Amino acid sequence: MIEVKNLTFFYSKDKQALHGLDFTVEDGEIFGFLGPNGSGKSTTQKILTGILKGHGGKVSLFGQDISAAHGPEFFQKIGVLFEFPYLYANLSAVDNLNYFASFYPKEQRRDVGELLETLEFKPDFLKKPVSSYSKGMRQRVSMARALVSNPRLLFLDEPTSGLDPSGAVLFRRIIEQERKKGTTIFVTTHNMMDADLLCDRVAFISNGNLVALDTPKRLKEKNSNHRVVIDYLYQGQRETKTIEAQELEAGIPFAHDEIVSIHSQEPTLEDMFIQYTGRGLS
Amino acid sequence: MWKGFCALFKKDCRMLVSGKFFLMAVGFLALYTAYVNLGYIRFMQMSPYNVYLYDPAGTQTEVSSLVHAVASLEAMDEALLADANGVGLDASGETVRVVLYAGAEHVDRHRADYALSLLRPSTGSASEIIGTNTPEQKARKEITCELLFFELAAVGFLGIAAVLFKEKGMGVIRVHAILPLRKELFLLSKLMVFLLSDLVFAILLTLLNVGLADGAALLPAVLLQTAILSLVMALVGLLCALLLKDFRQFTLAYLIIAIFAATPVFLSANTSVKFDWIAYHPFYHVYMGLKNAYFGMDISPIYYVGAVSMILLLFLVVQCAFHREMGKEG
Repeated sequence: MIEVKNLTFFYSKDKQALHGLDFTVEDGEIFGFLGPNGSGKSTTQKILTGILKGHGGKVSLFGQDISAAHGPEFFQKIGVLFEFPYLYANLSAVDNLNYFASFYPKEQRRDVGELLETLEFKPDFLKKPVSSYSKGMRQRVSMARALVSNPRLLFLDEPTSGLDPSGAVLFRRIIEQERKKGTTIFVTTHNMMDADLLCDRVAFISNGNLVALDTPKRLKEKNSNHRVVIDYLYQGQRETKTIEAQELEAGIPFAHDEIVSIHSQEPTLEDMFIQYTGRGLS
Repeated sequence: MWKGFCALFKKDCRMLVSGKFFLMAVGFLALYTAYVNLGYIRFMQMSPYNVYLYDPAGTQTEVSSLVHAVASLEAMDEALLADANGVGLDASGETVRVVLYAGAEHVDRHRADYALSLLRPSTGSASEIIGTNTPEQKARKEITCELLFFELAAVGFLGIAAVLFKEKGMGVIRVHAILPLRKELFLLSKLMVFLLSDLVFAILLTLLNVGLADGAALLPAVLLQTAILSLVMALVGLLCALLLKDFRQFTLAYLIIAIFAATPVFLSANTSVKFDWIAYHPFYHVYMGLKNAYFGMDISPIYYVGAVSMILLLFLVVQCAFHREMGKEG
């Protein structure tokens, strides 16, 4: 679906934003693109969505070079959720969605009412202006805008930003449903939980370089110290012991009355992010 | 493409309605019409200076009805004290003596000549009258032209910038970057909405203030000049809104444009003040185009070539600024 070879980009002669990125995104994959602020995430996404021109290297989407993809046919196939909910504040959710949907062929459009219902949008606000919505409601309408054209390729920038935990769960479920339909999804996020739970593969970008690319599970495994922490009760006392995971193969290697919990010492995706990019989440 | 343009056009009209732009335009139309018909034309028909005549022997036999007779020199002094622009004529001697409070020399000469001419109204002027407009028609056309220019150059310009600043603030310009539409339609739709509203405004202002018959005859030429000025100002407004950070910066730019663009143009076109460099001021030519349209004068084809080139150039620059805005961070 997406093929990027030796992608470079210069904002000016001495300001290089991307230093030769290489990656591919398969059809129907959820691909996470993670990196600290200013690492080149947005630049890459803008190149992929055809907003930014003048890159070096080769970028192709849907088997077609992005440099040739200026026409409406290209934009009909993609949906983009921006980091901020960009909507007409004086129009209602329905009016916003009908307006943005009107640029796509009728047979491609989804029903606005149904879509908002799927996104658990409060029905009382359907006809009220966006200016009266909470951040979470605006994010729901923005997501509906990205989905209203039934895109084959979906770009999501911080999809769960501004949502409460139940909203975030709902969004993750909707993203999963889209993938089941065959939609390819390119997620840019700082939210490591989203990346871990949603993405088939993640790429870490730092200072315009791709520093790691793999499944979240393998990335964590590769950097694991293979230890487990065991909480147990012995002779009425609660104790904790850390052992090598392979020691468990022969059973619990110490005297105990009851095992309370066993936790692997596997690093989190956030630990990996910091390790690869050298920077914490902001 | 047509469907996309219609959707944009409909949305822009809604933006204007919600921004109370039409209401503002109607308000200005009512204000201008009231000013022209109830104020300006009446003022122009008033005699320029009051003239007071002291003629105890009744030597002046042909005096105009505009002259106020006074019974004594003291009464004349009192009248002039209360009306410092007035002119006194003392006909008690062999020759008529002009009495006035001094102002600028060339104005004083005019005041004196005017006062003396009222003693011999039948003599009239030996000047050859050229042109077919009556003084009222002339005044109506002049003021309508000035008000239309002001409306298009200042109010319309402010309107389009306000709408675009709103969209810029909401970030929706960036959404249009990924919509399946030709990006220039976004700009063309805005230009079309403002062009149509300016043309309607020009029609109503001309018919209400120049008169139905006279106004209708002038409309084709006036609308052509309105279209040129409307497009130029809308493009300048779009450019300012795209390049400037916020409405506060725009207000400053607006003041600069209003002061440096409009003032010298009005001075050079409507008074005897002529700046050497005014021929290089593009708005002077646009204003003169509009004025010539109101007075039925021919307009040089070179002007049209220049106007079309300016519109095309501005459109290209605005398009570049628009693409830059679409690619900006959130």
